Amino acid sequence: MSSAQTAGPETLGRMSDEPQGKDPSTKKAKSITGKSPMRIAMGRLMRDKIAVVCLATVVFFVLIAIFSGVLQRLFGVDTDTVLPSQFLDLDGIPRPEYGPPYGAFTMEHPFGIAPRTATDNLAYWLEGARNSLQIATLATVVATIVGITLGLLAGFLGGVVDKVISFITDFFLTLPFLLAALTIAPIVSERFRDNPNYVTIQVTQLVLVLAFFGWMGLARLIRGEVLSLREREFIQAARVLGMPTHRVLLRELMPNLAAPIVVSTSLMLPAFVSAEAGLAFLGIGITSRPSWGQTLTQATSFFNDYSLYLWQPLLGIVALVLALNLLGDAVRDALDPKTRR
Amino acid sequence: MRRTKPLAVVAGAALLTLAACGGSGDGGETNAGEREFDNASETIDKDPEAQGPAEDIEGATAGGTITVFLPGDPGPDDLDPTNGWSVTGNSIQQALTSRSLTQYKRDPESTTGEMILVPDLAVDLGQPNEDFTEWTFEIRDDATWEDGSPITAEEVAWGINRSMDSEQFPSGPGTEYSQQYFLGAGEYEGPYTDKNTDWEGVEFDNDASTVTIKMAKTFPDMDYWGAFMAMGPAPLGKESQPPAYGQNIKSNGPYKVDSFRPGDELVLVKNDQWNPESDPARHQYADKWVFKFNADGDQTDQIMLSDNTESQTALSTQLGSSSYTDGSEVLGDRLVQQSSQCTSFLYPDYESTDLNWRKAVAYAYPYEDAWQAGGEVPGVTRVPANSIMPPGMSGKSDYFVDGEQFTFDPEKAKELLAESDTPAEISMIFYEADPLAVATQKVITEGFEQAGFTVKATGVQESPYSTWTNPDDKLNKSLNLRGVNWCSDWPSGLTMVPPLTRTGATYNTGFFSESAMDDRMDEIPNMELEEQAEAWGQLDEDMSTEFFPIIPTAFRNDLYAFGSKIGNPTGDGSIGAPNYKDLFVMQ
Repeated sequence: MSSAQTAGPETLGRMSDEPQGKDPSTKKAKSITGKSPMRIAMGRLMRDKIAVVCLATVVFFVLIAIFSGVLQRLFGVDTDTVLPSQFLDLDGIPRPEYGPPYGAFTMEHPFGIAPRTATDNLAYWLEGARNSLQIATLATVVATIVGITLGLLAGFLGGVVDKVISFITDFFLTLPFLLAALTIAPIVSERFRDNPNYVTIQVTQLVLVLAFFGWMGLARLIRGEVLSLREREFIQAARVLGMPTHRVLLRELMPNLAAPIVVSTSLMLPAFVSAEAGLAFLGIGITSRPSWGQTLTQATSFFNDYSLYLWQPLLGIVALVLALNLLGDAVRDALDPKTRR
Repeated sequence: MRRTKPLAVVAGAALLTLAACGGSGDGGETNAGEREFDNASETIDKDPEAQGPAEDIEGATAGGTITVFLPGDPGPDDLDPTNGWSVTGNSIQQALTSRSLTQYKRDPESTTGEMILVPDLAVDLGQPNEDFTEWTFEIRDDATWEDGSPITAEEVAWGINRSMDSEQFPSGPGTEYSQQYFLGAGEYEGPYTDKNTDWEGVEFDNDASTVTIKMAKTFPDMDYWGAFMAMGPAPLGKESQPPAYGQNIKSNGPYKVDSFRPGDELVLVKNDQWNPESDPARHQYADKWVFKFNADGDQTDQIMLSDNTESQTALSTQLGSSSYTDGSEVLGDRLVQQSSQCTSFLYPDYESTDLNWRKAVAYAYPYEDAWQAGGEVPGVTRVPANSIMPPGMSGKSDYFVDGEQFTFDPEKAKELLAESDTPAEISMIFYEADPLAVATQKVITEGFEQAGFTVKATGVQESPYSTWTNPDDKLNKSLNLRGVNWCSDWPSGLTMVPPLTRTGATYNTGFFSESAMDDRMDEIPNMELEEQAEAWGQLDEDMSTEFFPIIPTAFRNDLYAFGSKIGNPTGDGSIGAPNYKDLFVMQ
C-alpha cells in the first residue's frame, strides 16, 4: 500500500479511445487550432466511458463527504450514542420495529440501526465516508509533497544528497508498514491521552503514519524522471542563464513532471482509503470517530443474522476504491503519449 | 506493547480471571437463584471418605481427541503449578495434569455443576488441630509422577514451600494465602529468594508420609486452599527451578504435556503412569486434549454451530452473544450456562466522594445498555448484583443498599446528586484497544450524562488494571471512578470481601479504608467455623449500607458450547470452567 504505481499494465480505458492519431490526415482544418497536452488528455479521458462512470462515482462520494452533515439533517439521523437496550433483542439484534434484519425499513432509520449499540447506520455510513475520504486525501497530499520534494532534490542535486535521500527512501521501503503502524498507534495514543484535542491528534497521527509509508514510490519515480530531464538542453540553458536552483526546479522541471505526479496521486488515494479501513479494522485507526473499517469489525460477528450491517461499509469501500483505481488508470492512459494512436 | 490482551474484555474492567470457586461451604444455607439466574446456586459439600478410582461416567467410552477453543483468552504464560492463579490455567491443569492435596468432584446427583471437595494426593481432607493453626495431611503412597516414580511427602512439602516465594511467583496465589496465613508470613521470602533460612512452616515425614503445615494465624480454610495446584508436589532441587520448570512441568495427573506454546496451543496426551486407583475424581477417557488459546470468537461460534467433523469433538469456553439465539436452538442441551461466582464492580474513589454521590453513580449506570454494548446477554451472562459476595456463596445477604435493586434511573441520580457535596464530575478510564470496550464506554458516558454528570473518559492502551492497581500512576490519581471484577477462590467471604475492601489490598481500587471494617475482617477468621459464613455476609451488608464503598454492577455467567460427540457436557461450578475431568468422546 506504500507506493503509487505508474508502470502498471495499460489496458483500462484503451478500448473506448477514439483513434485520435489518425485524425490529422482527414480533418486538417480542425487540427490547426492548437491544443495543449493537458487539453488533449482531458478530451481522451472524457471519451472513456469507464473513466466517466468512475469519475461520477468519486464525485458522488466526495459530495457525500462534504455534505454529510446536511444529509444527516435531511434524513433526521445522527451519530449520537443511545442507550441500546430499548431497541435491541437479548442477542443484540435490533427489534423488528426498528428495521432490518427482521423488520421492514423505517423512515427514522433508512439503513436500519446497528446491533449491540443501536446507533443509526446511515449516519455512521455518511460520517464514515467523510472520515475515510478526509484522511485519505490529507495523507495523499502529505505523501505527495514529501515525495516530490525529496525526488526533485535527489534527482537534481545528485552526489551526496542523492545518496542520502536514496538511502532514506530504501530504508522506509524496508520497514513493514503494518508492524510499524501497530507499534506507533498505541504509543502516540498513550502519549496524548490526556490532551483535550485527542480526537484531532489521533486523526493527524493516522494521516502521518499513512503518509510516511506512502511517499517512497513517488520519490523514486520523480528522481528517475529528473535524472533524465536534467541533462536536456532546456535545463542546461536555464542553468547557463544563471537561473537559481529553485526556479529551475519549479519552473522548468515541475511542469514536465505533471503527468507522473497526477497519475501517482490518483492511485495513492484508493490505496490510502483501503489502508485506513484496514487499520480501523485492526483496531488501530481512529476510535473516536465513525469509520467504515470499525463498522466492518463490529459487523463480522453478525454476518449470519444481520448481513446488511456488513454490506453497507463493504459496498462503500469497494465502490470508492474501485472507482478511484479505475479512474487513476484512465488518467494514466490519457496522459501517456505512448498510448496515443 | 500489550496487544495480546484478550480483546473480549469487559469495558471498564478488563476481565481479571482470578481462580473462582463457588458454592456454600459445609452444607450451610444456600440462596435460591437470583432473579434471572436460570441455574440454581452451587453448593460445595465435603467428602473426606471419597476414594479412587472415580466411578465411571454413564456411557463413557475411551479414545478420541477433544479440542477446546478458548476465544479471546490467552491462557497461562507458564504451567508452573505454583504460579497458577487464573480460571483458565487452573481449571485445565488441576483437572488434567497437576494434582494437589485436595480437589473438587462434580456431584453426580447434581444438574447444575455442584461440586464436592474430595481428597486428592492426601488420603483425607487434612487433620487440623483445635484452633486451625496446624494442619496435617497424610500423603497417599500409590500416586506417581509421569516417569513412574512415587510422589513423596518431601516433594509435596517442597511444592508448598515454593508457594511462599512471592519474588519468583509474583502473580501466584501464594502471595495472597501462603504469605498471609502460613508460619513466617511476611518474613520468610521463600526457598529461592531466602536460601539461608530453614523454614519450619512445612514439615514432612517420608516414612509416615505426612506433611504438616503450621499457620501464623487461624486458617480453617486450608482444605479449600489445598485444592489449588500450588498446594501440590514439585520435583526436588534443580528440576523444578523457575522459570524453566514452567515451560516443562512434570505431570502427575491423567495427562502429561506434549507441547505448549504460550498464548497459542497446549497439547496434552495420556500419562500411562497415572494410577486411577489413587484418584477419587479424575478420569482418563480421551487420548488427547488440544487447547487452542486466543481462538477467534466469531470463527469459533461458527465452527461450534456448524456441527462438522471438526466441531463434533470440540468445545468452546465462550459462546458470543451474537450467536446466543442460534446457539440455543442448534445446541440445545449442549449449550451449558455456568455460574462463575464472580461479581463486577464500579469502585468510586473513597477519599474524594461522598455516600450520596456513590449512590447517584449506582443509579446513573446504564446496566443493561452497557452489557448489550459490550456483547453480553442481559439476564443470561450478566444479571443485576446487589452485594459484594456472589450468589451461591454461603452467608450471602440479600440486602439492598437503597431499599431496592439499583437500576438505571437518571431522575433519582439527579436528586441524590443535589444532596451530595462532591462535584458531579466523573473521571474514568477504558481499554481503547477493544472496540467493544469503546462502544460500552460511549453508552456508560451517555447514561452518566443523562443523570447530570460530566464525564471525562480516557482511553488506555493496556489493561485498565495496570493503571488502577498502581497508586503512583499520575492518571490513576486523577480518577474518581475505577472498577474491578472479582471471582472467589473458594466458597468463603474470606476470598471476596477482604481482597477488595481491606485497607491497602491490591485490588482495593477505590482505596477504601475504615479501621472498624478492617478490624472485623481480622476477627471473622477467628470465630467459630459455623458462624463465619454468616459473619461475612453481615459484614458485606453492614459495610455497604453504611459506607457503600463499592458498587456491584453484575453477577456473571459463562456460556459453554459442546460438540455433539462430547459426552457428559457439563460445567465445573467450583472454578467456572468446563468440567474437564468428566468429559469423553462418544464413539
